[in-house]
Amino acid sequence: MSEGRARVVAWLGREILPHEASVRAWLRRSFAAAGDVDDILQETYCRLAALTNIDHIDQPRGYFFQAARSVALEQIRRARVVRIETVSEIEALDLALEDPSAERIVSGRRELERVKGLIAALPDRCRRIFEMRKIEGVPQREIARRLGVTEHVVENEAVRGLRAILAAMTEQDAPARSHGTRDREGGEKTDGRTRKRR
Amino acid sequence: MVERESAADIEADAARWVVRVDRDSENPGLRAELDAWLAGDRRRLGAYVRAEAAWTHMDRASVLAGGEATRDVGTTMIRRRRLVAGFGALAAGLAAAMVAPRLLARRYDTALGEIRRVPMSDGSVAAINTDSKLEIAMRPRLRAVKLERGEAWFAVAKDPERPFVVESGPVRVRAVGTAFSVRKREGGSDVLVTEGVVEVWTRDGEGAPRRVAAGQRLFAKNDGGAPASPMADADLGRKLAWRDGQIVLDGQTLAEAAAEFNRYNDRKIVVADPRLADQRFVGWFRTNDPEGFAEAAATTFNGQVSLGGETIVLRGG
Repeated sequence: MSEGRARVVAWLGREILPHEASVRAWLRRSFAAAGDVDDILQETYCRLAALTNIDHIDQPRGYFFQAARSVALEQIRRARVVRIETVSEIEALDLALEDPSAERIVSGRRELERVKGLIAALPDRCRRIFEMRKIEGVPQREIARRLGVTEHVVENEAVRGLRAILAAMTEQDAPARSHGTRDREGGEKTDGRTRKRR
Repeated sequence: MVERESAADIEADAARWVVRVDRDSENPGLRAELDAWLAGDRRRLGAYVRAEAAWTHMDRASVLAGGEATRDVGTTMIRRRRLVAGFGALAAGLAAAMVAPRLLARRYDTALGEIRRVPMSDGSVAAINTDSKLEIAMRPRLRAVKLERGEAWFAVAKDPERPFVVESGPVRVRAVGTAFSVRKREGGSDVLVTEGVVEVWTRDGEGAPRRVAAGQRLFAKNDGGAPASPMADADLGRKLAWRDGQIVLDGQTLAEAAAEFNRYNDRKIVVADPRLADQRFVGWFRTNDPEGFAEAAATTFNGQVSLGGETIVLRGG
């Protein structure tokens, strides 16, 4: 069970996260009126987390789209007021799936370079902490000792770094969101690309 | 109603949880805290697994470095796996939508005027009264309910292996198979038993738990002092009429009745005349019909009703 779960988590990082930007873009396009795209994505990950086996999934990208679509449709059905157009737009999943420009997944050596690149792009102390933790395998407590800071500082830096990496893996404009601040303004991301919801 | 947490806040919290688990994965208290956090909202588990996926993905960087670091990373991976072993089940339960798994605590909030019936996975039923908040956790050896605010009535399915315990502040009410209600009030909790027997005690109080039998009522004080005896209460059916969305009055004063309606409605009844406030009244109303009650009371006692935006004022004639 735990072994299986570790595999699912690794699979999510490798095969799903790189497609989040396209799923997000598609949801924003076809689902703008009905709800918060980030809510839908979190709900979708919640379902993906329930997978115990991923061997049968040949097309992770398509699977991700399908899962997000079914969450989105449920939210529309739950909402009191349903715009007919929204439902028909969201049905047009095949179009989004075929969008070749969204195909950003890389493989093998290049992927590893990319991971290193993500870490290398972090602010200085944050990067140092990620290198120690992720490349050298040093526990957080020991990192704190070596850097002469409290574990709390290490935690904060690691959280900041993780969020920046997540943003970089799932959006193109990571630097705008790498300051570790919460986006409190109505839950909208301040990346300038977000369409205002009606 | 609790304001809905934004996805951005959940995302930030999830990242912190992943880092905390990485630091202190052996800590069972942390695990329990995380479980509680995850159980609060489906989106949290999604955000958590997403952040965890990115965090774990970074381990691949160690492949480039190779050497002894790999072993170190390996052991932390295993430790983390052990810690999170339960989440698979949790996730499966969440995704199966509403089939409450054992570990999962569910929270229920009712809005003002809302009365909700909640069937539980063990066959028990809860009726949750207006403006209340509670959490139900079905554990392997314990059915634990935490009443944070308001009132709820429980019809408990018999299961001697798994006691049903309601926590209301420091007051505890334990049942095996019975039906009872708990209302959290200032300074203590009201326990009404409609079937069977329950035991009531206070967390820090002394003495044996008090038994309260069907047809009895007990007010258990938070400070545990002066153990009140359970009193026979012929009035339980009336007091629990809220389960059907009703308020039954049988000789209560208008002031008491007004307070009862005001539990359910934004538009509050104000009895402006002290002589009127002490008048006793009999009637049967919907919880959401304070206007109807006010009209009836005014007619009976020759009073007048003035309807305001937020108030219903009852005056003497």
